[in-house]
Amino acid sequence: MSETLRRKTFDPGRERGGAVPKYYEVFARKNSDDSLSHVGSVEAPNDDLAQVRAWYIYDQHHWTEMCVVPTEAIIPVRLGKHSTRIKMA
Amino acid sequence: MSTPVATAEPAARTALQNDLLCVADTKLVLGNWFAECVMNGKSLPDFAAMLGMCTASYGQTRAIYHWLDTLDHSYGHLEHGRGRAEIRSMDLLDPAPENWQDFIVSTWLAEQATWSMASGFLRNPDRTVAGIARKIGEEAYFHLKYAAGWFRIIEASDEEGELLRASVTRRFPLALRWFGPLDAADDLHAAGLRDDPLPDIRAGFVGEVRSALKPFGVDATGVEATFEADWRPDARRTGPLPERLFEVIRFKDQEIAR
Repeated sequence: MSETLRRKTFDPGRERGGAVPKYYEVFARKNSDDSLSHVGSVEAPNDDLAQVRAWYIYDQHHWTEMCVVPTEAIIPVRLGKHSTRIKMA
Repeated sequence: MSTPVATAEPAARTALQNDLLCVADTKLVLGNWFAECVMNGKSLPDFAAMLGMCTASYGQTRAIYHWLDTLDHSYGHLEHGRGRAEIRSMDLLDPAPENWQDFIVSTWLAEQATWSMASGFLRNPDRTVAGIARKIGEEAYFHLKYAAGWFRIIEASDEEGELLRASVTRRFPLALRWFGPLDAADDLHAAGLRDDPLPDIRAGFVGEVRSALKPFGVDATGVEATFEADWRPDARRTGPLPERLFEVIRFKDQEIAR
């Protein structure tokens, strides 16, 4: 590689918002009769980028409402010996 | 069916088409910026966001071309038939981005300026024009939020903040230039085809820029645009599009483009 070319670097702290990827869960509905449903998740370093990335990745419908929730804000509820699990993208 | 624009005074009718073509061509170049820079995105979700903003920009360009085709232009000529001297994009987007911070600043300024201009047509008597302006605003919400998200990351680093400030120094006067000289008459507003006088729209743009740049200690007060001898008011740009940029943005093959 020529010395004049710069190698592309990845800085997790800067580009993910921390050493560990930060995820957001995405919920959306097509119309006011629908319930808000989980449609997927996105990785983003902050709330602004999470909203934009969710909007463009989950664009399969003309949603009337979309919300993102930091995965870390979700509190799993146990039922007996079972626990809820959030599937990561 | 005749529309309010079709029956407007010839000068006002031409001026409205000129301003919308400036918005459309700027969006064409902006869309190409996203397409060319997508592999510099920082992650897979970032690629998707940049491609989404690319297609949204192209969509706005084509919607305006279609509207112009109903008046004094031909869609085919607008999309495929023009040389680089006929493209009316913003001077701001002529120089390629020098780094990621410059890319974010440039696309943000272009987005903010075009949305400011389009917002002057939200109550246009031509419903198609008003609809296009509303759609540009809806999509600008996400495009501007993308920049806001990156500003928060850039703000956390002194080195990156410095690169951002250097970019603003270079690009902000070019964004201001797009609105034309401060003392220019606004014939469109006088004809009832622009909701607010252009100086007010420009002032709104400057206010948004100042507010967003406050965390970086950038004082945009007193920054003014300069105008070269080959400034073209009808194109809101200086001279022809640079040759290399034109090679990037022009449709290479009419058949493939379909």
